[in-house]
Amino acid sequence: MTLETFAFWILAAYTLFAAYFVVTARNLFRCAVGLAAALIGIAGLYLLMEATFLSSIQVAVYVGGVVVLVVFAVLMVEDVTQKEFLRSPLSRCLLASVVAELLLAIIAGTMLSQGFGAHRPPHASADVRVIGHALLSTGPGGFVLPFEVISLVLVAALVGAITVAGKPGDDYEKPEED
Amino acid sequence: MHPGLEHYLILSALIFSFGVYGMLTRRNLVAMLLCVELVLNAAALNFVAFHRFLFEGDPAGTVFPILIIAVAAAEAAVALAIVIALFRHRRNLDVRAADTLRG
Repeated sequence: MTLETFAFWILAAYTLFAAYFVVTARNLFRCAVGLAAALIGIAGLYLLMEATFLSSIQVAVYVGGVVVLVVFAVLMVEDVTQKEFLRSPLSRCLLASVVAELLLAIIAGTMLSQGFGAHRPPHASADVRVIGHALLSTGPGGFVLPFEVISLVLVAALVGAITVAGKPGDDYEKPEED
Repeated sequence: MHPGLEHYLILSALIFSFGVYGMLTRRNLVAMLLCVELVLNAAALNFVAFHRFLFEGDPAGTVFPILIIAVAAAEAAVALAIVIALFRHRRNLDVRAADTLRG
């Protein structure tokens, strides 16, 4: 058993446990912490696949950005000391678990029946230089259009978030009347 | 046994089904958002696994997870803005309470 195999199983178990915690925890704040743990586990799996740049982005943007945003929102809207929030009835939980297991069976069956080859040796992962060239290249295999579109999406999301979350009526400073 | 492509694919399918289960059972808006993040991450993990084991380090396999992370960030910003607006009106995050537009 090599170190890589050992690290994979540890990370996989850790990530699955954290994901299970996200789905079942009864306190919203604990859900958010569980999500941070799951995302760090996935970043570790990226690292194991030598996707170092992606791993650092995952930690910086996801754990450092999205989860912190979620935690702020939770603190603003929910009484964290309140222990539990509403759960679905048991029948709905059972139905949902059947649906999820069915999906899992379909996906896993499809993946395994393709015969991707378990003994295929891994290739070197794309490094930062290759990713940067791919992101800004206009030729074949270039991603400059998605790159530009995603920047527009981010701007639109920012403006939309401010518009939706802002109080109605304080769009601008009203001039003082003397 | 050395971890191969199948191991990563099955792991990501498991994370995906956890996320789907959470989306179906959670009734709190923020908790549902967290489950969506799990599903997005499972997809990104698939991209990286294929990139490493099947497509010889094609940069598309790392570019798409970056785009997924950006979309997830935008989604989180908008969804949390909606959460705050909803909470301001209803003092409640139960998704079943917010069905005014229901036909």
